Amino acid sequence: MKVPVQTAEIFKLLSKGNFISSNSSDKTISNLYKIIEDDQDFEHLYDYFININFVLEKGDEYFYFSRPETKVDLEKKIEKAFEWIDIIDFFKTYDNAFSAGYRFSPSEILVRIKTDADLETKLDGLKKYTDKTKHQDILDRVLKKLTDDTYFELENDITNQFKVLASFKYLEQLILLINIPDDIRNEIPE
Amino acid sequence: MNSFSNIKELLRALYDGRDLLTEVFKRRKSVDYKYEYALDLVDNNENKLQFLIDRSILRQNGNNLEIDDIYLQFFEQVLEANEEINTSYINENLEKIKQNIEYYFNEQNEKRKYEYLRTTKNTLRKIGIISLRNLVDLKRNIDNTFKSEPNYKNKRAKLVNLDNKRKDITKLIEQTERLITIDNITFFNTATDEELNRIIVQLKMELRKCTHNLIEIERQIIDFLNQIQQQSGVIEKLRQIKYLKDQFILETTTDIKQVLESKNVLIFESNPSYPLKLSLEYLQTNEDAFKSIQKIAGKSKLGNKLKQPIADKISDEYLETQILQEVQINLEEVKNGFVAGSNNLFDFVLNYNFSKAVSFDERVTIFCQMVSLYDTVFEITEQRDFKNDIEFAMIYAK
Repeated sequence: MKVPVQTAEIFKLLSKGNFISSNSSDKTISNLYKIIEDDQDFEHLYDYFININFVLEKGDEYFYFSRPETKVDLEKKIEKAFEWIDIIDFFKTYDNAFSAGYRFSPSEILVRIKTDADLETKLDGLKKYTDKTKHQDILDRVLKKLTDDTYFELENDITNQFKVLASFKYLEQLILLINIPDDIRNEIPE
Repeated sequence: MNSFSNIKELLRALYDGRDLLTEVFKRRKSVDYKYEYALDLVDNNENKLQFLIDRSILRQNGNNLEIDDIYLQFFEQVLEANEEINTSYINENLEKIKQNIEYYFNEQNEKRKYEYLRTTKNTLRKIGIISLRNLVDLKRNIDNTFKSEPNYKNKRAKLVNLDNKRKDITKLIEQTERLITIDNITFFNTATDEELNRIIVQLKMELRKCTHNLIEIERQIIDFLNQIQQQSGVIEKLRQIKYLKDQFILETTTDIKQVLESKNVLIFESNPSYPLKLSLEYLQTNEDAFKSIQKIAGKSKLGNKLKQPIADKISDEYLETQILQEVQINLEEVKNGFVAGSNNLFDFVLNYNFSKAVSFDERVTIFCQMVSLYDTVFEITEQRDFKNDIEFAMIYAK
């Protein structure tokens, strides 16, 4: 079995729980994406990684690792999922169109907070995940978290402009996967 | 309602009201134009304004004025400023061509035949331009709707409608193509007219351009619709889930547990570290490794430099010279003095002038010490004497 020379690099990124997104402005990452995207290479890599208990998963314009069997307890997962729900909700409140490919800078969000009480409440709600009290600190910490988890990317560090990567779709998909029974759905106010 | 009896009259009316019409046309999109503002623009001449209203160029709606639809369309079309996509217009023209072709074949009179041919040519020329302009409008409308319509439901509905328009235009273009290539092939072959051929070639080129544009528009509209579908789906779902989460019933009411249970994605795990030991063989054989070891060893040497234990400073007190004087009695000297004299030892010691004050008891002690030290040089007699309750032997020098 012949795997691409970049296999170690791919493993290093993915095994940390990171994503490899197609729209990354980092040349190395977008190159890695192109390599994995190749059908033959994908098969080889898949077979290669499955031997060491990692499943190479293909999403819509992104790749990531999962495991054949569970390793984290459910409670921790729920905790993490709740955190994501709050965070995505915050950004979607900022802009409905907030999704993969979206560009923004933290200062724009902070300016909006001054005139949008809903957004402000939601940012305050993120306090518990960051141990910070100042708006800017909370936002910076949240952005750092999502950047570390490779959902966002600091595209321009002079203007402090962030870009939402394709991996953000994973979070959206996760939200869509959750099924709300009809009778409960009817009880939710519009 | 009065209407115009000739073009001249119409043009004059439009010319007279040019300022007002320009202003109202500019504001056709926004709120209606107030009657009072209009009066200002026609020099407060109410008759002039009434004339325009009477001739149905302007329409009065309460206190508001607007340009009549016929004129509005005329202006928009001439100025290429229309936003509405009017497919019926193409359809009409198509019908017109078909009819004229039919008349052309029925007519025997050459002159009138030519008349029909002329109309057909005119209409054909128009179709190309109209289709293209419609396409440009369609594209602009789609872009505008997607980018600026704030209401998601309306955005979707509008895009669907525009998509239908696109389908209509596609259909009309197909019809036009069929008309000039298949349906009326006889007409286009028999009516040998240089200009007609040129128009047909031109029209075909325009139609091809339209088709290409339509394909792009279709792709774009599908893309936009998908994005909206996806976005509004996510947002709606997110809102519901957030609501349930804030009510603390998300876990109990939904299948979030099962969903998460089935996901074994690495992002749920905390960042792993792989503390691997170095290969011993590598450490023993590799030059670079050896250099690294030396480097590290060097570092650790510097770091753990042994400290010599330094004693505390000696206090000045200790360095000060202290003199303690003690007067010692030199027994040898006393003996020498005694040997030189003739007194007995006890009296000699008792009366000896020591360099310090010596008590009687001490003198007795000195006497005893001398006896025991120098008994060989003394002559100890059997005579006894008493002094201060002490009995002592009379000792003389030999």
